[in-house]
Amino acid sequence: MGKEILEVKNLTIQYRTDLETVYAVNGISFSLKEGETLGLVGETGAGKTTAALGIMGLLPERTAVIPKGEVKFDGKDLLKLSEQEMQKIRGSKMSMIFQDPMTALNPVLPVGKQIGEALYLHNEENLTNSQIEEKVEETLELVGIPKERKVEYPYQFSGGMRQRVVIAIALICNPGLLIADEPTTALDVTIQAQILTMICNLQRKYGTSVIMITHDLGVVAETCDKVAIMYAGEVVEYGTLRDIFTGDRHHPYTEGLFGSIPSLTGDSRRLHPIEGLMPDPTKKPEGCWFAPRCGKCTEKCKKQVPPVYEKDGHQIRCHLFDEQDTEEVQ
Amino acid sequence: MNRKKEKRNAQIKEFWRRYKKNKAAVTGLVILCVIVGIAIFADLIIPYSKCVEQVGADRLQWPSAAHWFGTDEFGRDLFARVIHGARYSLFIGVVTSLIALAVGAVLGASAGYFGGVVDNVICRIIDVFMCVPPILLSLAVVAALGTSMRNLIIAITISCIPGNVRLIRSVVLTVAEQDYVEVARSYGASNARIIFRYVLPNAMGPIIVNTTMAISDMILSAAGLSFIGMGIQPPSPEWGALLSAAQTYIFTSPYLLAFPGIFIVLSSLSFNLVGDGLTDALDPKLKD
Amino acid sequence: MEQNLLEVRNLKKYFHTPAGLLHAVDDVSFSIPGGKTMGVVGESGCGKSTLGRSLLCLEPPTSGEILFRGKNIANLKKKEMKAIRPKIQMVFQDPYSSLNGRMTVRQLIAEPLLVSKLCRTRAEVDKKIDEIMDTVGLARRLDMAYPHELDGGRRQRIGIARALILEPEFVVCDEPVSALDVSIQAQILNLLMDLQESMGLTYLFITHDLSVVRHISNEIMVMYLGKCVEKAEAKEIFRNPVHPYTKALLGSIPIPSVESCHKKRELIQGEVTSPVNPKPGCRFAVRCPYASERCRQGDIPLKEVGRGHFVACHMAE
Repeated sequence: MGKEILEVKNLTIQYRTDLETVYAVNGISFSLKEGETLGLVGETGAGKTTAALGIMGLLPERTAVIPKGEVKFDGKDLLKLSEQEMQKIRGSKMSMIFQDPMTALNPVLPVGKQIGEALYLHNEENLTNSQIEEKVEETLELVGIPKERKVEYPYQFSGGMRQRVVIAIALICNPGLLIADEPTTALDVTIQAQILTMICNLQRKYGTSVIMITHDLGVVAETCDKVAIMYAGEVVEYGTLRDIFTGDRHHPYTEGLFGSIPSLTGDSRRLHPIEGLMPDPTKKPEGCWFAPRCGKCTEKCKKQVPPVYEKDGHQIRCHLFDEQDTEEVQ
Repeated sequence: MNRKKEKRNAQIKEFWRRYKKNKAAVTGLVILCVIVGIAIFADLIIPYSKCVEQVGADRLQWPSAAHWFGTDEFGRDLFARVIHGARYSLFIGVVTSLIALAVGAVLGASAGYFGGVVDNVICRIIDVFMCVPPILLSLAVVAALGTSMRNLIIAITISCIPGNVRLIRSVVLTVAEQDYVEVARSYGASNARIIFRYVLPNAMGPIIVNTTMAISDMILSAAGLSFIGMGIQPPSPEWGALLSAAQTYIFTSPYLLAFPGIFIVLSSLSFNLVGDGLTDALDPKLKD
Repeated sequence: MEQNLLEVRNLKKYFHTPAGLLHAVDDVSFSIPGGKTMGVVGESGCGKSTLGRSLLCLEPPTSGEILFRGKNIANLKKKEMKAIRPKIQMVFQDPYSSLNGRMTVRQLIAEPLLVSKLCRTRAEVDKKIDEIMDTVGLARRLDMAYPHELDGGRRQRIGIARALILEPEFVVCDEPVSALDVSIQAQILNLLMDLQESMGLTYLFITHDLSVVRHISNEIMVMYLGKCVEKAEAKEIFRNPVHPYTKALLGSIPIPSVESCHKKRELIQGEVTSPVNPKPGCRFAVRCPYASERCRQGDIPLKEVGRGHFVACHMAE
């Protein structure tokens, strides 16, 4: 594995309106090496998408504020760049795949034009038009669409095919970082399997780093090297795939998440859900965000914000681990 | 039930908070309140007798302390006439819009909800009406029925209905596709119940906005028709009629045109601004 | 053997579209014994939702019979239908669009009672609402809330309360958990199973999620483009899938364990084709790796390959 391509440190994002402040992302940190895949896992409202938009610099300008944090990409802090400099990076050095392939494409442009768009905009190698066309055809074949279909319009494609087009758009400039925001949630399982396999193959071929945002732990298991479990805007557990999926040291939320999944093999008919609901993101608690739903909650959890404890790179943000042989970070 | 009341209050508060954001709409609301106040308390401000009292010595006086807006060619006090004229304009604007709304709701909702043949028949009829410019349509109706307050109301109501039907039909079309309509059917709710409990309440936002804006148009149409002598006849102090009578004196006594004109513009504008504010305040998608 | 609460025989539902005749549900038969759950699995466009809706008899089926307690309800008159309606209810997929946003929780739950006129007095209605809110785990203090103030899980509880207040015997659950987060999804699934036990409900559980359906169903039917391709007891289908499509579906589910990391999978190629004017033969033949000439010739009937295990495939012989 190569050098670090992305390092997010203590990223905090809030949405402020005249009525309230939404604490969307509360100091998350993670890093990503070249060719690695990081899974950002969490439920609705965990702040996964906000974090991704923050990295891409695509947050709504009027309401979103980033009070602190650092996003180092290729050695540059993206949060300090101007909009023009960001534009140069977006689409060429990093790009994003959105959840819904039905609305992510412009219905009045042929798909070939939409795929080529990023190349026209970031034409650093001074490619001629015919060279760009060639590249578009090549990319289409890469994502499994016959190149003859580049003149067709989005409505002529099915959901799975459209998502392939979206991926082609994201990949045409060979970005170093690809952020995939629930890329298969809107698709059927058999199509999801095709798309995931394709993303993995392309990633291996070009050494792209991927941030895979999903709520499906199955998807994570199949694609990711590292996993960050998010809850209420915080990374509550962070480690390698093995750290998260095996072993017995886990954040209570991670345990709850695994307990909620109906298993394909087990015999028990009842599931073990996490009781309660996601916390209100406008009310910052005194202690741990998860405390009201946690089965192992103590007095300390309600009063004190838990720090992050680390052991061999496996980080857990929970008071349960403070007396064990862990190292406190931050 | 106390909690019900609290809930209601909270909703009104939230609505008002969003409405307040639009400063123009607040200005519109203030103007509107003043004009409505004038219409209601006209008799307290200045007795109606002043409208008709002709003082030969005071003909065509410029505004002064005695006659705030001056006097017309018969020596009648213009201030009194304009104040009492507010009643005509508001009455016509509100009544015509409400009738047009009721007819439009029934026709539009049936067309949108039932679809098929019903939709086709209603839409084709509306198309025919849409071919004629609204002002011509009103003129034709007045020409056929003769000039009177009642006929004026009929005339401009008819010209307003086609637009209403179209709007309500399109809103109903989108609402009727929602799952909750099918849910209602699954436990056996009748069509009438679905339309009145499910479809129309959810279509209310755009309809309220449209009606408010329509009042503004109706006020203008009424004034316009009266101006060309097809609406309310003098000596009734309707604003359009006032304008019409004042034409002759446009160079010597321009105030005769200015005051009724200002009031027409202000009342029409205020409804428009309020309608604008309602659009923002009633649209849940624009929350925050 | 218990009596079947619901029996569907050769149910067909076709729609006329500009492109041609859409075979949404094509010759599907099954039966559900009282108190049991039939799971219907398939990808989008396989006709599973249309099947669920046909059972509510909102639109008459093109042909076929729906026997509820031995009585055919497929083409009943309005009046007769009114008596049956409360017995068959539905829980809808989308807890956002299936609730009328202009009504409070109490009004929403009361609506079926008021429509069906099953309760005489206001007090009776109120009592029933309080009871059902307790049953589905909705706090009573929420009764004046509007749906947009609540989260997805609570909204779905309203949907369930609304379906159950008429004390139905048979409930069609059309993807009741697919719009919810995993932790909430598990809460709702547990609730549905508890309710089945305590109220003796019979479910038709429609979903695209195989792991969910395995948990809640006694029997599972796999559909592909309007046809039932495989039908068996829940455990049997997971232990011993026979139809290539069922195998592909099972193979496509991402499994949350370390072993599945970067593993090679058997994928099926291609996408679901259109159910408009389908060609004769097996609908899955286009994507099937084992398809032969024979598969494209005539319709393939369901064959029993094990006890209660039916498959529509030539390979199963």
